Amino acid sequence: MAIDTEWRDYDVIVVGSGGAGSHAANAAAEDGARVLVVSKDPIGCSDTKISEGIATVRASGADDDTEAVLSENLRVAGGDLPVEAITDAFAEDSKTAYDRYRVHGLRPAIDTGRDTPQPLPLPLGGHNKRRSVGHVNSGVAFGHANWNAVLQSSQIDYLEDAWFLDLVTGDDGTGGKRIVGGLIYDASRGLLVAVRAPSVVIAAGGLSTLYFPKTDTMRGNTGDSYAVAARAGADLVDMEQVQFLPFCLASPPSYEGLLCGEPVTASFLGVLRDARGKVILDGVYLRTRAECSAAIMRAVEAGRGSPNGGAYLDMTANKRQPRSGPYFMRFLQTCLPSAYRNARQALGKSAAKCEEPWEVRPGAHYLMGGVRVDANGASVGGEGAGETTAGIAGLYAAGQAMGGVFGANRLGSTSLTEGAVFGVRAGKAAAAGAAARAEIDDAAFGPLIDEAGRRFGQKGDIAAATLKLELQRESWDCIGPVRTAERLDRMDGLIADWSARLGRVAIPAYGTWNQAFIELEELRNMLETARLVSIAARERDGSLGGHVRLDCGEISAFAQPYSTIVRRDADGALQVRRVARPRTPLKRLLAYKLQENWRKVQVKMLRLMPPGMQDKQLEKRYRAIMGGGGSAPEIVPGGAEGAIGEATKA
Amino acid sequence: MKVDIVTHRDGEEAVVAYEYRKREEGERPMALDVLLQAQATAMPDLAFRYGCRARNCGVCTIDINGKPRIACRSRVRDGDRLSPMATLPVLGDLVVRRDGIARQMRGRLSGGAQGNDLNVEAPEVYHDLTACIECYACLNGCPMHARNFGGGLPGNMPDGHQPPDPAEGYRWGNPFSLLKLQRIRVDPLTAEAGRETAVDHAVELGLDACVGCAGCKCGVGIDLMGQVVAELLEAAKGRVSESGGSPAGRQGK
Repeated sequence: MAIDTEWRDYDVIVVGSGGAGSHAANAAAEDGARVLVVSKDPIGCSDTKISEGIATVRASGADDDTEAVLSENLRVAGGDLPVEAITDAFAEDSKTAYDRYRVHGLRPAIDTGRDTPQPLPLPLGGHNKRRSVGHVNSGVAFGHANWNAVLQSSQIDYLEDAWFLDLVTGDDGTGGKRIVGGLIYDASRGLLVAVRAPSVVIAAGGLSTLYFPKTDTMRGNTGDSYAVAARAGADLVDMEQVQFLPFCLASPPSYEGLLCGEPVTASFLGVLRDARGKVILDGVYLRTRAECSAAIMRAVEAGRGSPNGGAYLDMTANKRQPRSGPYFMRFLQTCLPSAYRNARQALGKSAAKCEEPWEVRPGAHYLMGGVRVDANGASVGGEGAGETTAGIAGLYAAGQAMGGVFGANRLGSTSLTEGAVFGVRAGKAAAAGAAARAEIDDAAFGPLIDEAGRRFGQKGDIAAATLKLELQRESWDCIGPVRTAERLDRMDGLIADWSARLGRVAIPAYGTWNQAFIELEELRNMLETARLVSIAARERDGSLGGHVRLDCGEISAFAQPYSTIVRRDADGALQVRRVARPRTPLKRLLAYKLQENWRKVQVKMLRLMPPGMQDKQLEKRYRAIMGGGGSAPEIVPGGAEGAIGEATKA
Repeated sequence: MKVDIVTHRDGEEAVVAYEYRKREEGERPMALDVLLQAQATAMPDLAFRYGCRARNCGVCTIDINGKPRIACRSRVRDGDRLSPMATLPVLGDLVVRRDGIARQMRGRLSGGAQGNDLNVEAPEVYHDLTACIECYACLNGCPMHARNFGGGLPGNMPDGHQPPDPAEGYRWGNPFSLLKLQRIRVDPLTAEAGRETAVDHAVELGLDACVGCAGCKCGVGIDLMGQVVAELLEAAKGRVSESGGSPAGRQGK
């Protein structure tokens, strides 16, 4: 064989070194486990590092922000798809998990009166309380904390430039599966590393690279978390729920996909227009991300899209107002500074002054589904919220890799907290599980080592990087922001075709940084993930949250909620089914709906006012948000709900 | 537009003259655009690092005409030469091994926290230092870092010097490792003993190389000389040679 295999033993393998991975490793090590962190990118260089750096910290802004309030907020926003035990865990741990970032060096501003981290002045992105804490240097400050968390502990070994290829499983003695380790390609040393370990925590992020360049996330999001779990036979949940940000740049090419705004930044008079100038969505600032994305994509579908496959975000009416216009500009510039900077650099001066509309297009941002787990990140199967006895023993997932926290919609600023909460929980559970380790049979690794080894020196006439590009184009069209049964069929056909060609990919024999091999492995994961999304998207035959079906209607908030569950059966065939979720009591749902409609009526009234009166009204509102000094609070990429509704309730 | 791309495969170096096709009129592509297009067309197995495409993640640094640049936000011109960062060993094409830098900080990061109260604000300088995206552009011309390679570069070491094993963590430091140590010193949660230990670590990593050095340059504009090096030198006064301890002198200038 062209490549050597090194053998190692650990208690816990953690795949990924971002917010979830670093906390999992640290927590497991704290409980005495010997931990190996495997990261294909340099340590800490994850979506956490490039985020807006705003984290949900319960009760940072209000004493009545109880665990029950936050937990329900998550579930209602998520269309009742989230699992109650999991949202409860999020609410219970958000403060202590956030403090772990601080132990590793994150330093927020402090509200000395309340003796808590200082939250932003308004509830954000669908939150019903002020609880989002912003940070200097945004995600980079979190990146340092994650890096420190991995590097600091002598109990943690790590490999960077190392691709986790597959889980290795064995029989758990009761007819189920258990983890016995994993196989890794260490590109910097040119070796396969076979690791015997009873626990593996998957924290390898999301899948947005399926849609590259129509995404604002890290390149490494090739669906590794989901593909690895699915191939091992784990359940995955709500895989159709991909969150798209509506306002990403469509040009110039170097800026394609980067974030340029959120519904909230469109402010009171921002509208979406098609290529002919017709308004396709008004009251943008009150809309969800999904509503905005769907409006843009429907215009594109009807042949009225912009030259680069998007639409126009027109904020010129805000700017033209003599009194409130200057406030708007300050709001726009400071609300999401990095997004505004992207727009200014990409679209030029006149657009930056909002003297002309911006061409925008949705971009993939986050997968709200993922590996199906319990509140400790342990793999589950079966009915309802699931049971660990029906999952894979020793398998855990945390962060974007896991499902069940957000369902169909994600509140703003929750993902950094999610990483820490479930990273810590999964790390602790993995360490505890590893204490009862059973004998590991090396023979279980054999087939995987052989298969990976054979790839080196594989003869062929195709480049995996080229197939990857085809897959990315088709994923946007078929399993992207809008879907139809016909396109899902087309996707399945293409995936089968590409998969059949993997054996024809040419790979040189050398071991050190073999890019062709890396491309092949990532392509394999992207194909598997695309399959999971496609089959779940077919099962969800109506639009809900991040999932928009052009050929079906909306799924009513009053219908019986369900999650989609996908898994490979014993024969390797992909199966999909539904599990019912409890619905929020009707009375509470009605209250939410009423509030939402009232906000829409208000925006209509504002838009129809005589100009002078409207301008005065707007000035009053901006002053209320921005304070007397006129300095706007920094507001995050908001959540799915018309978050801005709360934000602008002046 | 022609751009030279330096590749390394299985120990062999080659230069590929890549013809970049502009995607729109007047396009002034970033280095990363050139690499992505090359990978999508003529060079499907081209190896290079990138992440966020917005100058945040710090992984896409390469040398453009011999100077470290963040590829996603550096425009290229006709005739430019793209090569791997010269300051670290090459793994493949434009990918260098970064591991030896982070690893040298193992066991050197603890500040020995004082008390349990996390609700203390950090001074502005703490945030100035936390702006570091770890792009490693600062390694360029650093005499302290060059000591790891006998005073030269990993690809061009003087005779008689063995390349260090990055998996062990490099023996000698660099502006990034000093920044990490200084950050511990300005953290209000660091205990007094921790502040002193941070200076000890800086001295161990070769702080004497900074004496008389013309200075390092940060890829994202942090004042490394003023906020890191000068502060550490002041704290280590009397412990590093006053006459300048940089045996290798300034590289790459």
